[in-house]
Amino acid sequence: MGQRSKSKVTIFHCINVFADGDALLVDANESAALNFVKLPCSSMVKDVFLLRAFEAGADVVAVLVCAEGACRYVEGNLRAKKRVGWVKALLDEIGLDGRRLALFNVTAGDTLTAVKFIREAHSLAAALGPSPAAGGYRPETVKV
Amino acid sequence: MIVGEQKPISEIKQIVAPYKKILILGCGTCVKTCFAGGDDEVAVLASALRLSCMTEGREIEIEEQTIERQCEDEFIQESARAVARNQAILSLACGAGVQAMARRFASMPVLPGVNTTFMGVLEKPGLFTEECSGCGDCKLAVFGGVCPFTRCAKKLINGPCGGSRNGHCEVNSETDCAWHLIIERLKALGQMDNLRVYQPPKNWSASLSSGPRKLTREDHVL
Amino acid sequence: MKTESAGKLQQVLASGGFAVTAECGPPRGADPEIIRKKGELLKGRVDAVNVTDNQTAIVRMSSIAACAHLLAMGIEPVMQMVTRDRNRIALQSDIMGAYSLGIKNILCLSGDHQTFGSQPDALNVFDIDSLNLVRSVLTMREQGQDMSGFELKGAPQMFIGAAANPFADPFDYRVIRLAKKIEAGADFIQTQCVYNMERFKAWMNMASEEGLTEMVHILAGVTPMKSEGMAKYMANRVAGMDVPESLIKRMGSVPKQKAPEEGIKICLETIAELRDIKGVHGIHLMAIEWEDVVAQIVSEAGLLPRP
Repeated sequence: MGQRSKSKVTIFHCINVFADGDALLVDANESAALNFVKLPCSSMVKDVFLLRAFEAGADVVAVLVCAEGACRYVEGNLRAKKRVGWVKALLDEIGLDGRRLALFNVTAGDTLTAVKFIREAHSLAAALGPSPAAGGYRPETVKV
Repeated sequence: MIVGEQKPISEIKQIVAPYKKILILGCGTCVKTCFAGGDDEVAVLASALRLSCMTEGREIEIEEQTIERQCEDEFIQESARAVARNQAILSLACGAGVQAMARRFASMPVLPGVNTTFMGVLEKPGLFTEECSGCGDCKLAVFGGVCPFTRCAKKLINGPCGGSRNGHCEVNSETDCAWHLIIERLKALGQMDNLRVYQPPKNWSASLSSGPRKLTREDHVL
Repeated sequence: MKTESAGKLQQVLASGGFAVTAECGPPRGADPEIIRKKGELLKGRVDAVNVTDNQTAIVRMSSIAACAHLLAMGIEPVMQMVTRDRNRIALQSDIMGAYSLGIKNILCLSGDHQTFGSQPDALNVFDIDSLNLVRSVLTMREQGQDMSGFELKGAPQMFIGAAANPFADPFDYRVIRLAKKIEAGADFIQTQCVYNMERFKAWMNMASEEGLTEMVHILAGVTPMKSEGMAKYMANRVAGMDVPESLIKRMGSVPKQKAPEEGIKICLETIAELRDIKGVHGIHLMAIEWEDVVAQIVSEAGLLPRP
């Protein structure tokens, strides 16, 4: 596995929390490689999207959803919460560590808090280290 | 619908261990409805398996496909090309579908990814309950529409046992006592007299007890 | 029903006497001495002894074998038979075998579910239920036929018992169930142990109103409590048991060493009250794993000597 100088964080966010992730971050030198995935509602995050984000090399995946009780579609953020919980358990089962997936509630428009959580996700990535799956196939150590 | 639950991923990993190239085949009918083996579940399982193999440095190639039903040849044949490209099929269909696939693709390992459990209904979102055990001799008219052969843990036909408490079964306090339900239903229907009628021993010869069953409809055979 | 070959239990009840039965569980093994020791504690103090059938679904020596051991020492057994483990073929076979050995009383039950026992992975049977069993024993006796209609070479003349639980839910249905058991062929009924006297009396009233107490011999179940812990356990963990808070408190109000004595006192008070209830034709003393207290209770209740 080659050296990776940047940990990779994928942020799924409801557009009601904030519209554009890249516009949020003032400091372009933030060492995280961030991927933003916009959703019309956090309930649109399917289990498989979260897993594919890890397949694509994410070290941490964060899901930013509206505050509980404030979902514009009423229960979208509750569904997202349930799904995230389910996928976390799956990640634990396959040895990827469920802590790499996190959900954060943010009041719509509160960009300061959103940025705080994004940075938290980045620290989490640094603390947990590269994802065990991020190296891809290693044919020389095939185990069955 | 037929209800089943996907096997734990640790067990699935063991089952597919001998193979490097597999097809995960989903079914779009019963198992999709109970979130065990539909197209979404195929996608999640494939991704999870790939991730798991990546963490172990293990090589695996997974193809994903879902057909309408795995219990009918009309749909099974749509998977033929994908089947031919792989070393094994991990079927997420119910046990009947897995066996139908195995019959059709006789020289291909067809492996089960789902534990098929019961015939049931969606009682409320996220809750599936067992209702029918296929005894072949339906007596629901006598029991107010609640089946004691399936829903009474002791298959009692002449009333509840002494373990019924607060409308729940002695085996599991979260399970309704079927006889409590029957009595309530018959009360509502004004058919409490049904309860006084002696029910003779069940004829099990129409059930699985006689061996695996067949149904032939001559009017549909050419 | 022929009475020349009738057992003691049947004779006592037929003559209008107040019957006393007790219970004993076979050992978890093949040692007959254990059964014999229990038998010694009960012999002469009761009219018949129930032998349980893999009670609580825990594997024990078979009821039929344990009954045979009791018979050999001059004790009259009541063979308990559950429908959980055996299909109609095996059940009928064992009834014939039991009668051939001299066993004359049978108590027909469904049985505790196997999930409670020592082999929860086992497949259960429940081919027929306890009422079907009662009816088939009756058919053997009265028509001399087995369940397939075959004329038996030697028809068992069993005295048929069934269980009743006045304390299980739903309450208003319990008397319909009793009526059904009587109609199916029950000669005698043994009830779940009585702690809630009010509820028991209410049930007896309802049964009496339907004329059921004239049609069957009811033996009320009685179990002495050994400790406050036992009282609480029965109240909370045993399905179909009704133990009033007042009794639990009473057991807890005495020092631990005195608890068994208090339990026996309560038991004797219960028996005295039961004897006064019209329609109660006896008691069924279930002193499980405390068989040595039976002699004392029967004696102090004034029920000795047995006829």
